[in-house]
Amino acid sequence: MSVLPYLLAVFVFLVGLYGIVSSRNLIHIAVCVSVCQSGTYILLLAIGYKTHGTAPIFGDIPSSRKVVDPVVQSLTLTDIVVAVAVSALILAFALKAYEHEGTLDPHEIVEMKG
Amino acid sequence: MNPMIPLIAAIPLLAATLLALVGKWIPDAAADIVGMVAAAVPAVLAGIVLTRTVGRILSYWFGGWRPRAGDFPVAIGWAVDRFGAGFAFLVLILLTSALVYSWRYMEADRYLYVVLMLAFGAAMAAFVLSGDIFNMFVFFELMSVAAFALTAYKVEETSPLQGSFNFAVVNTIGAFLVLFGIALLYGRTGALNLAEIGVRLTNDGRHDGLVIAAFAFITCGFLVKAACVPFHFWLADAHATAPAPVCLLFSGVMVEVGFFAIARIYWTVFDGVLGEFQHPIRDVLLGVGVVTAITGAVMCGLQRHVKRLLAYSTIAHAGCFLIGLALLDPSALGGAAVYVIAHAFAKGSLFLVGGILLMTRGGIDELLLHGLGKRLYVAAAAWFIATLALASPPFLGTYTGHALIEDSASKLGYWWVPIVLAFATIGSTAAIFRAGLRIFIGAGAGDDPILSQQPSESPPPEEDPELGIMSAVTLLLAVAGLLCGAWTGLATRAVEAAHTFTDRLGYAAAVLDHRVPPPPAPETWHTTTSSIVWAVVTLVGSLTIGFGSVYRNRWPESMTRALDTAYGPIRAIHSGHVGDYVAWLAFGTAVIGGLFAVTIR
Repeated sequence: MSVLPYLLAVFVFLVGLYGIVSSRNLIHIAVCVSVCQSGTYILLLAIGYKTHGTAPIFGDIPSSRKVVDPVVQSLTLTDIVVAVAVSALILAFALKAYEHEGTLDPHEIVEMKG
Repeated sequence: MNPMIPLIAAIPLLAATLLALVGKWIPDAAADIVGMVAAAVPAVLAGIVLTRTVGRILSYWFGGWRPRAGDFPVAIGWAVDRFGAGFAFLVLILLTSALVYSWRYMEADRYLYVVLMLAFGAAMAAFVLSGDIFNMFVFFELMSVAAFALTAYKVEETSPLQGSFNFAVVNTIGAFLVLFGIALLYGRTGALNLAEIGVRLTNDGRHDGLVIAAFAFITCGFLVKAACVPFHFWLADAHATAPAPVCLLFSGVMVEVGFFAIARIYWTVFDGVLGEFQHPIRDVLLGVGVVTAITGAVMCGLQRHVKRLLAYSTIAHAGCFLIGLALLDPSALGGAAVYVIAHAFAKGSLFLVGGILLMTRGGIDELLLHGLGKRLYVAAAAWFIATLALASPPFLGTYTGHALIEDSASKLGYWWVPIVLAFATIGSTAAIFRAGLRIFIGAGAGDDPILSQQPSESPPPEEDPELGIMSAVTLLLAVAGLLCGAWTGLATRAVEAAHTFTDRLGYAAAVLDHRVPPPPAPETWHTTTSSIVWAVVTLVGSLTIGFGSVYRNRWPESMTRALDTAYGPIRAIHSGHVGDYVAWLAFGTAVIGGLFAVTIR
């Protein structure tokens, strides 16, 4: 098993972080959070991967076939469900910010500091 | 099998689901009553479970999939020790208090608020009872999502959206860090049950990059929730935005859930494999705790927005909790636990007073409220009682927690810990006392150039406030916070519970082999002279500095200007911009992870 998927997971996560740090748009930030989350999907799937393994659905394959780890796949699914809720909320906040302030720039909505 | 255990979380979750379905068609009062019952009944259950955990760890396996002794735990299991049950009990008591307080506090569509509160409380209770790391993660996320929505509950009004947005983004990134750590642990051990992961990691014996990275990711991820520097920025924004009864849960238990998670995972999973590196781990976490305590105390003194002031005070106390945890000593951990209880009641009461001020006086700014609270006698009494509880006076309030942490720190050779605890306590309590003097007594000047100006918060609807019920809840919490320090039996039991909590082998034996762990040795309470001296110091220091800073206008002007300049950099760091917060988060994770990597070899 190569180390590449793990590096990719970290890379995607860091790209998302960079996007959030440098972003000037609230919706862009919401997308960047999803990019970060994609890094966690890649990591989970990479951990469960087995070379030449197939999907762990035993209905139509012999039970002797090598399959990938089904646990991490269900973890990833749970993770995706969580992501939907979080993205929905962050986007809703962005929408409300636009309604109130007329802008999506995170610098413009800052009212409290210090 | 104890069917009461899952009901603690299932009752509020089911009630929340039902209420979300039918809430539209039932009167608000009915939704309120459903909420209170669905919080109070599991609180009683948690109390009963708590009495059954004396010297035992109860487990509950979902679906009846209880593994045979020594078998691999396939199912999701909850493992309830005294700390877990006690924490769930605290969560549900505070949830019930918050819902009683909110009787008339919230506007239309109140059932949605009740739904979110129930889900929030149930998720926290489930989180502390769970013995499965991914199950913990799921409840952690449920708790977070409910918290984000609650922060923005008053979104139709023009309250700052910055609070909820920053809260959601920063905490979501923190949760990803936790997930990275969980994935790495699963990759190494193939297990998700805490006890099983711990056994496998210990048998494996390697403490290589993967284990250290997993430990660093999980610790930093939960430190985001625990609002430790440099992950703390979201907390002040979120507290300033969220409704007062929600802040009660945020400051009282949500932040502490972060510490509970770190402690639980350290002592069940990493204690074996990283056990010989207690020294470096202790030093790194103590460092974070000290910086957090000092930053919180300094920032607290600069606030005039009452809820933001209380939020920074929570950060100062969070630093102290982390110090108690970082000593990695059962006695200090027990101290941190009683400290958390006293703090939860006292700080919760202060937030509820903030809510009363907002409702009856239409503002939350200390300077604008100058003298306006004079006729709110009960609220004023609650404010000053809670202030006293947080000042750690001898034998009251947070004193027992402070004393236990300080004693164990000096035994371990960390003589400076009492100084840091005193600094954090004095700095934060003085600011709370100052705000109380201005608002409820009308003392001092109506202006203070040092304090940060914040936008005003729009008050909740004013018609027909149930001020009687609100004041009663507030006063009760304040008195509970003050008196639980006087109950030394609580402290000795907490230390006994901490011995069970930190016994990795006992936990694994109870969960995996269904054996009863050895009962902890009975503790007795010793009062040391130094702890009383420090208690007097913090009490006198808090009151003097609080009183002195009301009269800042009589200070020499050069001194005020010098203070303002000195505060400039730390003020500037708290920029309110989510990009900066996430940059700090990445920086903090890199530093803490780097320190672990360098020191654990």
